[in-house]
Amino acid sequence: MSTARICLLLIVSCLPLNLAVGADPAADMFFEQKIRPVLVEHCYSCHSTEAAAKKQLKSGLLVDSREGLRRGGDSGPAVVPGDLDASLLIAALKHDSFKMPPSGKLPASVIADFEHWIKLGAHDPRETPAGAKPVHGPSIDIDRARREHWAFQPLSSSPPPEVKNRAWVLNDIDRYILAAMEAQGLTPAASADPFVLTRRAHFDLIGLPPSLAEIERVGQTSALDDAAYAALLDRLLASPHYGERWGRHWLDLARYADSSGFHSDLDRPNAWRYRDYVIESFNQDKPYPQFIAEQLAGDELDKVNDQTRIATGFGCNGPSNDDNAGTGKAKLKYRLDLLDDVVSTTSTVFLGLTIGCARCHDHKIDPLTSVDYYSLLAIFDNTERVGVSLTKAVKKSTEPPAAIQQLIEKSSQVRPTRVLRRGNIDFPGDEVGPAVPTVLVSRPVTFPTPSADASTTGRRRQFAEWLGSPDNALVYRVLANRVWQHHFGRGLVATPSNFGLGGAKPTHPELLDYLAGQIIAHGGRIKPLHKLIMTSSTYRQKAESRKLKAETDTQLSAFSSQHSTDPDNLLLTRFTPRRLEAEVLRDAVLSASGNLNLRSGGPGIKPRIRNDLITTSQRNKWPELKQEGPNEWRRSVYIYVKRQLLMPLMELFDAPTTTDSCPERMSSVVPTQALVLMNDEFIDDQARYLARRLLADSRGDVRRAVERALQLTWGKRPSPERIEQAVAFVNERKQAYLVDKISPDDARHRAVTDLAHVLFNSSEFVYVE
Amino acid sequence: MSSKHSAALDRRQLLQTAGGGFGALALRWLLERDGLLAAESSPPGTISSPLAPRAPHFAPRAKSVIFLFMYGGPSQVDLWDPKPELTRFDGKAIPVFKAEDAFNSSTKNVALRTPFRFRKHGQAGIDVAETFPELAKCVDDLCVIRSVHCESNNHAPALFQMNSGFLQAGRPCLGSWATYGLGSESDNLPAFVVLLDHQGAPINGAMNWSNGFMPAAYQGVTFRSSGEPIAYLKPPKNVSSSQQQARLKLLQQWNTDYALRHPTESSLAARVASYELAYRMQTDAAECVNLDNEPEWIRERYGLNNKVSQFFGRNVLMARRLIERGVRFVQVYSGGNEGPRAWDAHDDIKANHELHCAETDRPIAALLADLKERGMLDETLVIWGGEFGRSPVAQAGKGRDHHPHGFTMWMAGGGIKGGQVYGATDDFGCHAVEKRVSVPDLHATVLHLLGFDHTRLTYRHSGRDYRLTDVAGQVIHDWIA
Repeated sequence: MSTARICLLLIVSCLPLNLAVGADPAADMFFEQKIRPVLVEHCYSCHSTEAAAKKQLKSGLLVDSREGLRRGGDSGPAVVPGDLDASLLIAALKHDSFKMPPSGKLPASVIADFEHWIKLGAHDPRETPAGAKPVHGPSIDIDRARREHWAFQPLSSSPPPEVKNRAWVLNDIDRYILAAMEAQGLTPAASADPFVLTRRAHFDLIGLPPSLAEIERVGQTSALDDAAYAALLDRLLASPHYGERWGRHWLDLARYADSSGFHSDLDRPNAWRYRDYVIESFNQDKPYPQFIAEQLAGDELDKVNDQTRIATGFGCNGPSNDDNAGTGKAKLKYRLDLLDDVVSTTSTVFLGLTIGCARCHDHKIDPLTSVDYYSLLAIFDNTERVGVSLTKAVKKSTEPPAAIQQLIEKSSQVRPTRVLRRGNIDFPGDEVGPAVPTVLVSRPVTFPTPSADASTTGRRRQFAEWLGSPDNALVYRVLANRVWQHHFGRGLVATPSNFGLGGAKPTHPELLDYLAGQIIAHGGRIKPLHKLIMTSSTYRQKAESRKLKAETDTQLSAFSSQHSTDPDNLLLTRFTPRRLEAEVLRDAVLSASGNLNLRSGGPGIKPRIRNDLITTSQRNKWPELKQEGPNEWRRSVYIYVKRQLLMPLMELFDAPTTTDSCPERMSSVVPTQALVLMNDEFIDDQARYLARRLLADSRGDVRRAVERALQLTWGKRPSPERIEQAVAFVNERKQAYLVDKISPDDARHRAVTDLAHVLFNSSEFVYVE
Repeated sequence: MSSKHSAALDRRQLLQTAGGGFGALALRWLLERDGLLAAESSPPGTISSPLAPRAPHFAPRAKSVIFLFMYGGPSQVDLWDPKPELTRFDGKAIPVFKAEDAFNSSTKNVALRTPFRFRKHGQAGIDVAETFPELAKCVDDLCVIRSVHCESNNHAPALFQMNSGFLQAGRPCLGSWATYGLGSESDNLPAFVVLLDHQGAPINGAMNWSNGFMPAAYQGVTFRSSGEPIAYLKPPKNVSSSQQQARLKLLQQWNTDYALRHPTESSLAARVASYELAYRMQTDAAECVNLDNEPEWIRERYGLNNKVSQFFGRNVLMARRLIERGVRFVQVYSGGNEGPRAWDAHDDIKANHELHCAETDRPIAALLADLKERGMLDETLVIWGGEFGRSPVAQAGKGRDHHPHGFTMWMAGGGIKGGQVYGATDDFGCHAVEKRVSVPDLHATVLHLLGFDHTRLTYRHSGRDYRLTDVAGQVIHDWIA
């Protein structure tokens, strides 16, 4: 029975609940849970439309429809609702008359389920009359979806719309955005001030705050003119830290980690090479087709090298249970689970389609069939996860020889891929060849037959080429949306990895197409798109703010009415402030304190985690560290990602859990975040370093130290009011310390440390406007 | 719970008089949390807290849950489900065991009799092994479910399934669903707390109490039973409390100003409130784990004066204190790490279960009695069980293998009809054969007791409505009083 139960779990795991539940949910549930799986598993091989098609139907009985069961076979009705004695099915199951299934009596509990079901009226939600179409046939019209679903259409090339307020328009993006605003009678916000814009651009492109020098430079000019702003963007785009920022977005999608996750959470000593490959690819602004091909088919390209082999790590990043993979059938199933991770991740990341749902049955929302799923799986079915030693060029002499996990093919001998009914290896169906999902192409993509001496099948390369082709509108829409999402905190499509029928619709479809077209026009490079977006008026708007201080509910309500038309700012009438992501927050702290070590690349670092937290982890423990130093003070993208023990600061600020591809981070606000920022030694240490830096720079002048502190953390010239408050605070704290009879210098240092600590916790530091 | 409303008012008064330090927005948040502002339309600047208390679908029988998780897999045939036939077949093959029922290849079809004696207890006359002398006195409160089965014979997936309904990582667990559904009754403590065994965390670590795709607010927070209960609860040693207060005063002033200047960004106001809560958590959570305040007879009752039972006893006593203070869901692990340190008795069933029973027997009995005396048992659902059971046949001579095909769990309190045995395994305790209970059935029933129709408690993620029970699960009304 256990197999059947597992199947059931697989069947149900992807069903959309609203569709699965009919008029009588409880009865539907009982049927789906207790009755249908048994019929499918034990009876269909001889009593289904499919069996009839194969001329294997026995005694004329069909159990794959309500009608079939009620009508019965040669001997009479199999099921008579409410009448156990008249229902031949029961006698057969009990082996009283026929002995069904012939292989052996089913457990008493199963027979009891059937009796219960018939007694209560044999509720059977299956509407399909026998023979009309296969039970698991497509319920959604694929051709129609191909014709009609927005995401599957070619890019529209309509000219950008006309707008009234032409003065606001800096480039075509603004036309699309403003036209939608004007249609609702809304107007855009003013431009952000130069300090805000500079800080926003820094965090967006390189994930680091502007330096003090940069802030001072901004302060010297009254406005950031277009040329200076464009030059700033060029500088940031050319910075090696750009890849560390945008590569991290990709690593979220690629479910990157340095350990395996399950069971003992085994170390993956060379996983970081994939991370570095990604960072470097973004820095080079590698054309997207090439980036796709290297990750999916790095071993099949014309020029295979260490970097392209490392890139195939994309397929090995998911959690795995290699230390406990099981034996026999369990191991075969484990292999399919790993392949499923590759197929599902590839599909959501590049295509924005949740094809993983079609592993056990046709997708219930999207026009994707099980055949589509297994055809996609066939593309990867010949691959193996292997550890291959790198050539000397990549190895550094001091490093021990280590293999890197790659997803490659070792032979062109094709392993036959079969559709597995209900995802179950016990029920292999028809053999399928490699193919891309039917709904995405009007003519099938041809996959080559490998020549006898070929080293691989060439299937992944062909697939990658199809994905990256400039005609593949869906792939470029998904990419353009991801770029937009990281600039505005939300994609034009709010479900960035689901562009299917169940995903969100784009708020500005023509704009999305325009952006996708821009990437294609630049040969799959995205740096030009960043610049286009960031030089628009849309991007340069200020966040909503008021100067009013006194608060009453009436005033709050009055303010709210302005926003009732578009409370979620979908039309982008202002800039939505965003909380810094976990890595950016930590990097900004280190940057302000002056401790950030900008060394790039290499094995993951392991900053201090408190001992009492380490003890809850299993094997491969995190090292205990008393004091952090420059080796730990590197950018957070280089922190070793241990699946069973994420860095608390990262985890609490919503770093991805790495079990699946993460298209969108949460931005939660919980008290435990406050606790870690208030009480973690790391923050306190860095506050002390920042205080030391400030006092040294200002030669002990508290007012100057305070001004610089506010500039460094908030990235702007502070208001006189804030300076006064901060100076008063520092003096008050200093007096309090002097009571403890410590030296004035020490007291001053402690007092400024307190201020620095407040600043690291302040919303103006933790948020970017 | 009756004191809740007045406590809210006290806090409101307190905040109204507290002045600028903690702002009006924090106040608003707290009022909303208490449902006092819920009916009003929310102007910008108010926050919809993820943990604001919410009404379930129908009147709940249980308001909180204590899940006593016997990690590693406790044996059904040695503790709750006596099988004379197994004893009769000792050393011989049993007819119901098939080769594929084994997890380890070293497990062969050789029956292993239980080393323990059973006796009937309570008015209901329920069989309990001699290893649970104290717990045996509570059987009239227990619904002993002998027919549970799950879908994996390995710890990692079975733990995921028992916790989240799904065999792989990535889904929110039962505690997340409960707190997502009901919110929290506590201002100063996390809604969902996990207490670990002194041996460490189980396999999968924190992924067992993950919020999956839900917001982090629904994640289980691990509490330690001594010292600092939550990570980062106290400032570093060199930071005094007056220093911290001074920092917070300026911080809250600035953060409140900033939130007011950006009234459309509710998360900024939420930040102000979160510091307020964090600050109070420092005192309240510390108070909660300080068992010194418990009278000596309570400490004795929970087994705190005994070397073997003191660890689990502390955790169970703390679970009661957490529930008392409004925490929604507490999961207490018995057994940690791997192998003999958990209930994973591959080598020696007798030694293993004698130890873990001795660690837990007295504390659990004390918990049930204590909850009852305080009038809390009616509203607190207590669940006992592991991720699976153990094989009736021997592994390595006197050990037992993993066994998902039929095992025992029990529930008490929170609307459960005690003093009953539900379902049955076959004559050898091998497969659940009568009234089989799947993990989704179990989850569906727990949600039902908390006031939810498990088919309607959904969370939308990536364009799809997810359920704890997916499309499976049936509420088992026979368990409910």
